[in-house]
Amino acid sequence: MTRMYHLMPVEAYTSQDWFDREQELIFSRTWRYAGFVEDIPEPGHYISVQAGLNNIFIVMGRDHRLRAFHNICRHRGTQLIRAVGKTQKALTCPYHDWTYDLEGNLVSVPDEEREYPNGIDKSCLGLKPAAVDVWRGMLFVHPDPNPPSLAAWFGEVDPHLGPHKPEELVEYPEARSSYEIKANWKIVVENYIDVYHLSHLHSNTLYMYDHAKAKYGWSGPHYHFWEPPTEEYGANLEKNLPSPRVIPEPHVGAWVPMLFPGIGLGASEESWNVFIITPLGPNLTRIENRSKVANVSGWEYQKQEWSSWGFWKDFGGPKYEGDDVASEDDPMASGDFTAEDIYACEQQQKSLASPFLEIGPAATGESPITNHQRAILEFMKDHEK
Amino acid sequence: MPQSFHPLTVADIRSEIDGSATSITFSVPPHLASEFTWRPGQHLSLKLQVNGEEQRRSYTISNPPGAPLRITVKRVKKGCVSNFVADTLKVGDQLEVMAPKGRFVLDPQALGHRTHYFFAAGSGITPIFSMVNAVLADEPYAVAHLVYGNVEAGDILFEAELTELLERYGDRLTVRHVLSAPSMWSWFTPWRKGRVDAEAIQAAITETPPVAQDVHYWICGPGSMNQDVRQALNGLDVPNSRIHSESFGGEGAQDTSVSGVASQVTVKLLGQTQTVAVAAGQTLLEAMRASGLRPPFSCQSGVCGACIARTSQGKVHMRSRVALEDGDISKGYVLTCQSVPTAEKMTLTFEA
Repeated sequence: MTRMYHLMPVEAYTSQDWFDREQELIFSRTWRYAGFVEDIPEPGHYISVQAGLNNIFIVMGRDHRLRAFHNICRHRGTQLIRAVGKTQKALTCPYHDWTYDLEGNLVSVPDEEREYPNGIDKSCLGLKPAAVDVWRGMLFVHPDPNPPSLAAWFGEVDPHLGPHKPEELVEYPEARSSYEIKANWKIVVENYIDVYHLSHLHSNTLYMYDHAKAKYGWSGPHYHFWEPPTEEYGANLEKNLPSPRVIPEPHVGAWVPMLFPGIGLGASEESWNVFIITPLGPNLTRIENRSKVANVSGWEYQKQEWSSWGFWKDFGGPKYEGDDVASEDDPMASGDFTAEDIYACEQQQKSLASPFLEIGPAATGESPITNHQRAILEFMKDHEK
Repeated sequence: MPQSFHPLTVADIRSEIDGSATSITFSVPPHLASEFTWRPGQHLSLKLQVNGEEQRRSYTISNPPGAPLRITVKRVKKGCVSNFVADTLKVGDQLEVMAPKGRFVLDPQALGHRTHYFFAAGSGITPIFSMVNAVLADEPYAVAHLVYGNVEAGDILFEAELTELLERYGDRLTVRHVLSAPSMWSWFTPWRKGRVDAEAIQAAITETPPVAQDVHYWICGPGSMNQDVRQALNGLDVPNSRIHSESFGGEGAQDTSVSGVASQVTVKLLGQTQTVAVAAGQTLLEAMRASGLRPPFSCQSGVCGACIARTSQGKVHMRSRVALEDGDISKGYVLTCQSVPTAEKMTLTFEA
């Protein structure tokens, strides 16, 4: 008898077979986050990103137009370029120096006459194109050169994501981080969208927002969530914001959507963040965080810090104290909500292999979890044909 | 095949840029409404009597689809039709008009996240104006950048309308005026002085770079402008597949440097095949009509595209090729009214 975790078999969270099918049917068939627009600032710059089974790179041509190609030399399949870099007019594979122009055309094959005495048709050996598009200041790639439109993919959920204009904000480099969680990617998503846990796991960390008044729902496979500031925080919000506003008044609250698949955003009055979830294995997931803040002077930041100091000086604290603390680096005593989440995900994953595991009923605030499972099952079914 | 003219009534005549151009709006009766729908960039062929002589001309529709059917005619020195239209034509007059045609078209994509660069000069703005409007109205995720060249500020067509568009769509539209000889007495400050050349193009693209990968370049201007802009874009590695152009000659701007040779032409028309002898210096259309064939044609000036056919053998010289895009020409399409054979044997097929 198959052990179930709500709508999915438990095995979906632990087996290599499920992981492989998700890579093929979900992560190789959807728009994949690739970075911020400013990551490719001028002609010649490129970045590459893994999108499911495909490695895709984006490069800007001299016409400032972005192009995307599969990062595969047409000769023996070697990956052409490394993660990030800059070129002038051409991309050369390190293996045999086959060289492509920025339109993907194969322009040079070394020792062509000697190595290919019967000739070689370079015009049939151009790089395979992929698609790149931009939404809310973020780059997205799709393995299919003629994919469904990105505007349509995010069009319906877009109005629920807050009035932020990320392209007008600046990155806060210190907030950029990348780490691994020893859990299946779906566990990480479920933690992100679990409304029930906010008041409990994060009882001493995220309490400036009123979780009881959260509004959340779905647009197709995309989840959206908003909650207002608590009365205490909101009563003097302009004074209490830790840094300058990134959205105009009277907009308030925290928008924390999870776009499909695994593209988390977190936006509030004073910042805009991405939380990109990449499955690395059945039990291993990579997270990339980046953060954007208001494009104003250091003096504005200083003033806001002073004005909000009174609110934040005593804010927050560890979940466990005293004898409950297991060790010096106990995440439950960290007072850091990210450490709390990582801990919860990894502790849950550990139990999934146990034959005694039996999942209890989903709470109202956990309805996003069953909805997410449904979205995955439907997406895979639609793409299995 | 509907190649016929229909009488349309002139509903409005408006003088533009101090009488240097004239906009004419037609009223389209309900039973012709479907035939007279158009795609942004298409043009109308007119047949009119001027001083007892029949004249045919094609003019670009300067309104976007859905708006009233309007053409804008720039006055040409000694041009018999453009002056007639400006000075003699009245509201309520009827003109013979053929349904909209043309292959230089921008079809809006409701979900297209595209960046369009428009390069226009002089009255080359007419199709571009229609396209810009269509992008702003019907392509909500797209942006448009217009670079518009003129001699001086007084020559700028649709200046008021462009300003209105900027006020309404300022986040999706930029307009850059380039003036080659700005008047010292004008208050108008152009973006640049000079021509719409490689430097101006590079500057425009650098100042307002494309949003992502789906970028299109639209060119319409007189003389060598199309070729110059295309070369400048090619110099930035823009592939030809993304460049769309229509040249815009003044009346009578034809290349008659090649006289052509006598040729035997196999013509496939409406399922029939016939051989036509073309004399040296004769156009394909003239020869076909002289031998009793009835191929489609309209303006006889290379503008409307009604006489288009495809060659599968043999080459021609085209005196004018306004109605064709470069891509059409590489596929073998010719305008029979403008083509003299340069090969002694040819095969010509009318596809529609």
